[in-house]
Amino acid sequence: MDTFKIVVAGVGGQGTLLASRLLADAAISSGMHVKIGETYGMAQRGGPVMGHIQIGGETNNPQIRKGEADVLIGFEPAEAVRRGVTYLKKGGLALINTRKTDPVEVVSGMRSYPELDELIGLLRKVTDDIRLFDATGIAEEAGDPITTNIVMLGSIVESGLLPFNEETIVETLRTGLKPQFLELNMRAFELGKKAYHSL
Amino acid sequence: MSHPVALDEPGKRVVLMGNEAIARGAIEGGITLAASYPGTPSSEIGNTLARVAKKLDFHFEWSANEKVALEVAYGASMLNQRTICPMKHVGVNVALDILNPITLRGVKGGLVVVSTDDPSQHSSRTEQDNRWFGPHNDVPIIEPSSPQEAKEMTIFGLELSEQVKLPVLLRTVTRLSHMRSDVELGEIKDLGRQPEFAWDEFSYRVAGFEKLFRRHPERHGKIDAVQEVFEKTSFNELKLAKDSKLGIIGVGFAITYVKDAMESLGVEDKVSYMKLSTPHPMPARLVTKLIESVDTVLIAEEVDPFIELMVTALAKTANPDLVILGRKDLSFPREGELSQELVEAKIAELTGVHYDDPSRTEIEAAKDEMMFDRMLTMCAGCPHRSSIYALKKAVKTVKGDLMNVVVNGDIGCMGLAHAPPMEFEDTYFAMGSSIGVSQGMQQLGVDTIAWIGDGTFFHAGIPSLQNAVHNGAKIKIVVADNAAVAMTGFQTNPQMGITATGDKVEPIMIEDIVRASGVKFVKVVDAYDMKEAEEAFKEMLEFDGVAMVISRRDCAMVAVRQMRPNKPVSYVIDEDVCSGCKLCLSGYGCPALMWNDETMKASIDTTLCMGCDSCAQVCPVKAIHRSDA
Repeated sequence: MDTFKIVVAGVGGQGTLLASRLLADAAISSGMHVKIGETYGMAQRGGPVMGHIQIGGETNNPQIRKGEADVLIGFEPAEAVRRGVTYLKKGGLALINTRKTDPVEVVSGMRSYPELDELIGLLRKVTDDIRLFDATGIAEEAGDPITTNIVMLGSIVESGLLPFNEETIVETLRTGLKPQFLELNMRAFELGKKAYHSL
Repeated sequence: MSHPVALDEPGKRVVLMGNEAIARGAIEGGITLAASYPGTPSSEIGNTLARVAKKLDFHFEWSANEKVALEVAYGASMLNQRTICPMKHVGVNVALDILNPITLRGVKGGLVVVSTDDPSQHSSRTEQDNRWFGPHNDVPIIEPSSPQEAKEMTIFGLELSEQVKLPVLLRTVTRLSHMRSDVELGEIKDLGRQPEFAWDEFSYRVAGFEKLFRRHPERHGKIDAVQEVFEKTSFNELKLAKDSKLGIIGVGFAITYVKDAMESLGVEDKVSYMKLSTPHPMPARLVTKLIESVDTVLIAEEVDPFIELMVTALAKTANPDLVILGRKDLSFPREGELSQELVEAKIAELTGVHYDDPSRTEIEAAKDEMMFDRMLTMCAGCPHRSSIYALKKAVKTVKGDLMNVVVNGDIGCMGLAHAPPMEFEDTYFAMGSSIGVSQGMQQLGVDTIAWIGDGTFFHAGIPSLQNAVHNGAKIKIVVADNAAVAMTGFQTNPQMGITATGDKVEPIMIEDIVRASGVKFVKVVDAYDMKEAEEAFKEMLEFDGVAMVISRRDCAMVAVRQMRPNKPVSYVIDEDVCSGCKLCLSGYGCPALMWNDETMKASIDTTLCMGCDSCAQVCPVKAIHRSDA
């Protein structure tokens, strides 16, 4: 198979890297080679975070080449656009949580957060397949905004684009997440799946 | 769930981070002791070893600093035990004082020092290339290109170290340390060696002082023996293409870019190439085979032109007309990481193959115009933020102006004091250096504040503190004590009363060390009580002598973790009381605070707020209160 390439973009503390690892674990239990590249600098929280996941293929380069990602999973709109315009292929799927996380520049009044329409407008120059939703709101509905990453996973699985089936990722969630939080996360996963159809 | 590096299932494939693969390599290689000091991008090696040490029955410790870690490891090596000592690249600077005598005296049990270099400074103050320590100290350098190879080369390093009786430095780069891929596990060795001091190899009493002391010629013999191993090892690969006039050398991780680029351009069979995984000592005969057969050689390496210079020297006899391209000749940039795009563009140019640059220059420019950088800042509820705010108020009162004092900061989360909106830090350099550089200024009459964290104080702050007392430098020191080594991911330090593997031990309190060092003004305050902290800072600034305030409060991330499964009680802003002055945002800047453009009032993101109360203390109209009050 051709290498399937996913870029995950977000902010430190959103669970972006856990989402990358769950996708990778699902791929490997389907018998495929997998590579993850992570960029997170030195901040525990609040800094830009990016994960590159490549499923199948023989390269050892953890970075996806510019303009070749099949899918963008954006946990935060500005971060999604920051990475999407660089890495997403022409016409690739961009799944984006619309809930903003203000950076310190915005909190302290040094500059304003760009208008969502303008931001997304940049990404439209790369793809028409942009699906926006309030994943954090859905996570809150599931019981905890911390499950935003699992809502996003549910949606991307429902897109049918991933090179492994839903049972594999569900099994990965069962083995990879702490048992006491499994029920909450499964609820988030199901709501994420459901949400995809209204996007 | 047990960690995959602890699995005794040879042949199983698991997803491992480069750093975890190194830890697994050490385990498969039969280590009985590992010592480390945390630092990005190395920390996950120690984190992983700490997690499985008890289960697999080896000793792991977070040592006080890198030098101590290497000394601890060397002690084990002299007992014929295999050992690993991981650190970030600048940590090797600290450890160098012991690394050099180890290379002279030699090792018994295999000793691998891991240096995680950080090209492009993702999380470091420098992108220094530690391969130079190779010729500097006659230490062999090995450089893997993938997580699988990182595991195998760690085992190779342990074996080589034992065989030639030198420590081996395994060098990675951030991209490799932090990437994940599937890795096939091997067998975990139990060497079953009794720890016995090798008297005849290390003891002045038994082996004799003269025999042990002058060993430079012997060390040269050892490094020559290493070169012979490197000439033959299968970690290096040479592939000569028929009639090719171009050769490419990819060193360590950079071979990944070279191989991908050659495949993508379809020139695999037209270009000669070499995968070089052993930069020092460079296998000169193997490299000669390549450079004799071509007119031009391109060298891809991170960061300095290390192999490029070695090849230049070699070519003087092997092929004087050779054209050598790389970092030094500016075929690649002199600084920063390489990338797929850089390497592919250069190979395309040299082979005359068409290459489309995938960069969307126009959209990227528009993006840069529109977008913020998302600067680093302290977390919501970080006690360092309230400490700085109180310190600024105290400085303003006592010194009249914030610019009447130089704030020398230090390494760690507290080092973010320079960032807006706090902007109250002038310098930071190296672990513990805040206390030292402040003294040079203070001795010549310039007022200073040394601003340092608890972990950093233990690493290298103690000698410089005692220097201040001894030499009468009346410096003022604030220890931002969050009871955590937070920036690198919550390792232990001596004040925490717990070891890396969870054993309870006697905590060493900073105030006890400082008082015992003769400091007459030492106060411990709660960083969340900003009034108390401000008063203590004022007294410190007015004190005639070395003075310290320890502003103590658990790291907000740890605090939130400890509350689980409960959630913190967040704060709220009473819109009727809020005057819209924005002081909480522009002066304090906790990321949990937000501005509502419609109501023209501040508000609080209750998912981020951890209930520290400090913004409530900052608010001049008392509009902020606990959500349950």
